Amino acid sequence: MSREGNNGALATGHLSSAGLSALLAGNARVLLASHGTEGAQAAEEAAISICKTWPASSIHHLVIVPKSLWHGMTGDDWLNNGSTRNTFRRYVESTLQKEIDEHLSALSKKIERDGIDYTNQVVVGEPEASLIAAADRNRYDLVLMGSPRPKGRSGLKSRLRPEVLVKSLPIPLLIIPYPD
Amino acid sequence: MVYTKRNPALLIIGLIMVGIWAAAEFNLMQGYIAHLGGKKYKYASELTTIPLWFGVIAVVAGLWQMLGSHKDGNLDYYGSTIAGAMFILLIAMLVRWFIAPEVAVFSKTLGKVGNTGKYWHKLLGLNYVVIGILVGIIIVNVFRIPAWAQNGVRLSRLGLKTGVILLGTLYSAAELRNLGGLSIVMIGFFVLGSVGMVLWLGARRNIPNSMGGVLSAGMGVCGVSATVASAPVVQAKSVEIAYTIGTILLWGVGCMFLFPIIGNVLNMSHTQFGAWAGTGILNSAQVAGAALAYQPDGIETLKVAEIFNITRVLVLPIIVLWLAVWYVKREDTGENEKVNVGRVIFAKFPIFVLGFILLFALSTTGIFAPPLHYKGKYFDNTKPKTMLTAEEKKVLTDNAGKVKLKARKEALQRLIANGKIMSIEDDTQIRGLANSKVMGKKSGKILKKAHKAVRHTAKKIKAFRKWITWLFAFGLVGLGMQITVKSMRQAGGQPAVIGGIVGFVKASLSLVVVLFLISDKI
Repeated sequence: MSREGNNGALATGHLSSAGLSALLAGNARVLLASHGTEGAQAAEEAAISICKTWPASSIHHLVIVPKSLWHGMTGDDWLNNGSTRNTFRRYVESTLQKEIDEHLSALSKKIERDGIDYTNQVVVGEPEASLIAAADRNRYDLVLMGSPRPKGRSGLKSRLRPEVLVKSLPIPLLIIPYPD
Repeated sequence: MVYTKRNPALLIIGLIMVGIWAAAEFNLMQGYIAHLGGKKYKYASELTTIPLWFGVIAVVAGLWQMLGSHKDGNLDYYGSTIAGAMFILLIAMLVRWFIAPEVAVFSKTLGKVGNTGKYWHKLLGLNYVVIGILVGIIIVNVFRIPAWAQNGVRLSRLGLKTGVILLGTLYSAAELRNLGGLSIVMIGFFVLGSVGMVLWLGARRNIPNSMGGVLSAGMGVCGVSATVASAPVVQAKSVEIAYTIGTILLWGVGCMFLFPIIGNVLNMSHTQFGAWAGTGILNSAQVAGAALAYQPDGIETLKVAEIFNITRVLVLPIIVLWLAVWYVKREDTGENEKVNVGRVIFAKFPIFVLGFILLFALSTTGIFAPPLHYKGKYFDNTKPKTMLTAEEKKVLTDNAGKVKLKARKEALQRLIANGKIMSIEDDTQIRGLANSKVMGKKSGKILKKAHKAVRHTAKKIKAFRKWITWLFAFGLVGLGMQITVKSMRQAGGQPAVIGGIVGFVKASLSLVVVLFLISDKI
């Protein structure tokens, strides 16, 4: 199945008969890929809306920390000693952890307030591969994510490329348009 | 955890190196060397020595890695770095000996550029240093660094630091005093100026204090290194760090290509270019890269640029300390945080600078070369390489009347009488006389020969120069492997705007200062 929605969202992948039944029966398991940016927040809202419509649904929230991006953050620094570089690495790690914790905590409160079953997982790896692996490993009915950041809008440029995902995801992918 | 990978890569690298040596030693690549320049090809002596030494090391270590038993421990950890180090070294060898000369050959076929009198590769600074960094960047971004090499790639930093330490042997006290003074004035002005400018622009554009702090250190002091050192102190957010490092890397790589082109167009002296690169380029790694790109077969520019780098890194703990105090005051967290001055200075102090100072001090004692050596060359007339022949003395006597200056005339008389230059002062006069060309072409040649006969090159200093060149080539190729396009692509947001403005002002203003205030020599 591959179709383009009226609002620019794209859904693709093969919806199995079991998945279709799950959606129709109102117990869809949604895999939400979000890292808290504006585009991802739109996907979070959409996930909540969908799951509210199907009360027995659940959201599994996947946060991916792009490994190669943060791994390269010490760049070509050579003047510092090992201790300064280690302090920096530990600091970046703890900052990312803190930012993710804040994001997870805010989102879980929001989702649980609506009575939706919520679980989360943080993985360090390459964005597309990590999402595909998560979708392969567990039984989800739908992958939901925000659309790529439009040009001119600020934000990190490491992102999930839909063109890579559509080729490998075993389940439908729903992309929510970037908010105006 | 066992770090050593059972992989044939290191053995293959060793065999390739030995193969290069064998091909050069047994004249199997004569045709190719002729294509690369024949007698003008500068690396023939390196081809018959360096690949053999390192090739043997790589083969032995490669066999050990493949066949030996490896257990968790220091030997395993340090041994696992050999493969990556040899990988970088092989790339540096291939680039220096074959790829860069090939680029030069191709560039010459294109002819000289307009009325610049220079070939494309000279004008663009496309030599083994720049090409080596580019190859490093391509490897990490296109092919990825193989797992067996990852541990050793980090050794590139050690290579650069060792290179700087060894550079200490090549400065005279006067040079160090003059360059040190100049760099303190230039760096002091431009570091404080750009830190202040970033904070001012940041306040006007309402960026958070943490972003202003990390950006000011990166833009003002020494790029990525300053960002790494200051980010935890000003509690920068992850996106601020990514923006700042992306901007600095993008700007730095751009400058590394642009600066040598501008330097060539403006015909800047080595001192002027070294001072400009040392001040105007944001990132310290690219300072070394640009200096070697500008003067690939000499290290005069590098010597100037590295003094500026050392001054920057010595300023770094002070700026980090200042930012810490500034941030605590501005944020007013109410937790009565105190900045531990001693701890910050101790943690950030660049220990390798002590090595540089130590080598410089040892050099002044005459342990590597006589104390009055200049660039490794020293005066000694006790064992002159040649004496003047009777015929040469006659030529000089016949033309002696053309010399007007008293000091030169007297030095010339002593040279004719003794057949060799008699003192270091006479040597200065004779060299001046030869350069003035007043005695004619034939006499000039004899005077230069007499000068060369009493000037000796210190073997240890010569060896140091060779090692320094290789250490920097090794270090810069390795650093190229740590510049990811993913990090550079993060350049954006306010840091890109502010960084662009400050970087441009700093580069332009320092160029004007260097051109108008710095003489050709120090």
